[in-house]
Amino acid sequence: MPVIEVQRQALPILDSPNQGARFYNPDLPSSEPYVPGHRTCAGCGPAIQYRMTSKASGDNTILVGPTGCMYVANSSYLCTPYNVPWAHTQIGSAGSFTAGVAAAYEAMIRKGKWKGTFPNIICEAGDGSASDIGLGSISGALYRNHDCLIICYDNEQYANTGIQASSRTPYGAMTTFSPPGPKVPEAKTLYPKDLARMMAAGHPHCYVATASVGYPIDLMNKVRKGLNHRGAAYLMVYTPCQKGFVYETPRSIDLGRLVVECGLYPIWEWNPEKRAYDYSFRPQSMRPVSDYLKLQGRFGHLHAEHIANLQKFANEQWRMMGVELPEALIRAADAKNQVNMGAAAEAEAVAQTL
Amino acid sequence: MATTVTSSTKKKTVRMNGCVASAQAAKYADVDVITAYPIRPYTATMMALAQMVANGELDAEYIVADSEHSQLSIAHGASSSGARVFTGSSGVGVQFAYELYSPISGSRMPVQMMIADRTLDPPGDFGSEHTDALSTRDMGWLMGWACDAQEAFDNHLMAYRIGEDPRVLLPQMVCQDGFFVSHITTDVELPDPGQVKEFLPPYKHPYPLDPRHPVSHGPQIMPEQGPPLQLERARAMEGSMAVIEQVHDEFAQIFGRKYDPWVEEFMTDGAEVVFFMQGGHAVTARFAIQHMRDEGVKVGLVRLRTIRPYPTDRVNQVLSKFKVVGVIETNMGLGSVSSGGSLYAEACAALYESPQHPLVISFMAGMGGEAIVLKEFYWMTKKMTEAQRRGKIEKRTHWVGFEE
Repeated sequence: MPVIEVQRQALPILDSPNQGARFYNPDLPSSEPYVPGHRTCAGCGPAIQYRMTSKASGDNTILVGPTGCMYVANSSYLCTPYNVPWAHTQIGSAGSFTAGVAAAYEAMIRKGKWKGTFPNIICEAGDGSASDIGLGSISGALYRNHDCLIICYDNEQYANTGIQASSRTPYGAMTTFSPPGPKVPEAKTLYPKDLARMMAAGHPHCYVATASVGYPIDLMNKVRKGLNHRGAAYLMVYTPCQKGFVYETPRSIDLGRLVVECGLYPIWEWNPEKRAYDYSFRPQSMRPVSDYLKLQGRFGHLHAEHIANLQKFANEQWRMMGVELPEALIRAADAKNQVNMGAAAEAEAVAQTL
Repeated sequence: MATTVTSSTKKKTVRMNGCVASAQAAKYADVDVITAYPIRPYTATMMALAQMVANGELDAEYIVADSEHSQLSIAHGASSSGARVFTGSSGVGVQFAYELYSPISGSRMPVQMMIADRTLDPPGDFGSEHTDALSTRDMGWLMGWACDAQEAFDNHLMAYRIGEDPRVLLPQMVCQDGFFVSHITTDVELPDPGQVKEFLPPYKHPYPLDPRHPVSHGPQIMPEQGPPLQLERARAMEGSMAVIEQVHDEFAQIFGRKYDPWVEEFMTDGAEVVFFMQGGHAVTARFAIQHMRDEGVKVGLVRLRTIRPYPTDRVNQVLSKFKVVGVIETNMGLGSVSSGGSLYAEACAALYESPQHPLVISFMAGMGGEAIVLKEFYWMTKKMTEAQRRGKIEKRTHWVGFEE
């Protein structure tokens, strides 16, 4: 039987001064695989990410959408915002369904049943799918190295089901499954699963990176690097959720920067060729975690000790990236130097409306 | 004439078990994506396919999945993209994938799944019981049992042809008993590839995930948008019946083996009591019936070949000819209509509209994968003839081997 060689795409990397934080770039493609008209909330971080991601990928793309916000809010009532093929799959099937699509195209192109350049196959899994129920399926797809990109749009909770804690929900965050109360004043007691590192450590042949909607060009370049990488790639993207985080709608992109600047969301790349982390990404400034926490109702109940715990956690992240900590951040990790969240009562009232 | 000679030279009879016959069928169907996860006894099918791929006899993506749930999701994704897909499982593996059965049939993807039955846990029991696949029988998959390796091979080819028909577009579960079929070696006639080419055209889904023709699969809906979609799936299942009959006819013309798509009747001429059953135990039943016929007992066999779609009218028409029907379950229907298995209810419901009801008895036999031996068939026949004489049944369900 004749075997046809599979042709693959090579997407150009965009110029990205300013850590890719610039919004306008003349080289951005004009195509919009993800169009308006969906039913996501105003300021939806995952939706902003979706647009950037699919723009970077272009029209020769197939999207896979496991159950999550980006399924439910995007594809309501038989209307979908996709200009490229898209398929829903089960929340636990993120990696496996995507692997099936990739395998089908490998076989169909090789056997002459489909003619064309191998499509960009992207899975958009929420953090509930990626860190909990679909973790095994994603690990399987990465391990087997299917030519695809699996994105975890990380809004740190199960949002479309009404804000429940996932393995990615940060310590101290209030969700409907982790409410604060007299016995559990900090709300969520567990620290988030270090998902991206887990993927890099366990599947070192894959391109793995973290990104944030606060740095659009950096995000889009990582999408392209992941797609250009021959084999599987994994990208975890910070995508704030105004409904679950309880913040002012226009501040999604601000939060996307602040979370990086305060060290709670380290941005890095795993280089599969060198088998090494690249920690060269540096935000323009460093801040205490309270600058980030105080903007969000989900942290409104925190006491000084909890904030100090989060600062300790952030400091560990900085150290892991090889950053020397300024004195102020070391001091901020001591509860004596923190105060309770002033807006605790107000935040609680807002949280009741979730 | 010359072509006939050429093609017949490529036809060959080879000894193989049911698992290998299934693997051979997947090879003849030129599947594009195979996805495996180990569980006995179906594993032998995937072992055979792995070797074919390694030998270069079959060009397919062979994916070792991380679970049965992933297996079925991979199959779903690949089928949605336009590839012909083959997968399979046994026992609790069939259940681990349960979430995917409705999404696959609902998105109308003709995934094919081979089942070699295994008893569900607890406890870990390798034996064949049909509960694994039967528990998924209402999920929109075409489903039926083979009773030997040749029939399994043939069923796989026919199932692809039926499921991929644009009038049907439904997934298929092609079932065989674990061990009694999957691991018993018999002669299987492998066809000429030209015959398969003539019978089974390449898979072509009307709306695959293709960047040149963007489509969305499976968006969310409002409750009132649900009924029409469910109705469409129900109609596809119902409409498949005509296609199933047509495909069986064409199969007979091309391959020379003629199957009744719905039921096999064995020695039912002049029979007054019959067994109603599925799968490999029918081979033993035929021997038992032949022996009892020699002794003057008017017993026969009606073997169900397709349970989804359920041939209600045909079952009614066939079974209502007899005085007593003995349903051999080989499956668990705990707390069901008969407190026995689930096949009883399927038989009785089909008979309900018939003015002449035979008496129906449910036999719990072959449970846990135990062989149903000849003397048990004699015992069950005695129960049926006694009921015929008395004009009523002793009780609805007998656990064979636990009673005098």
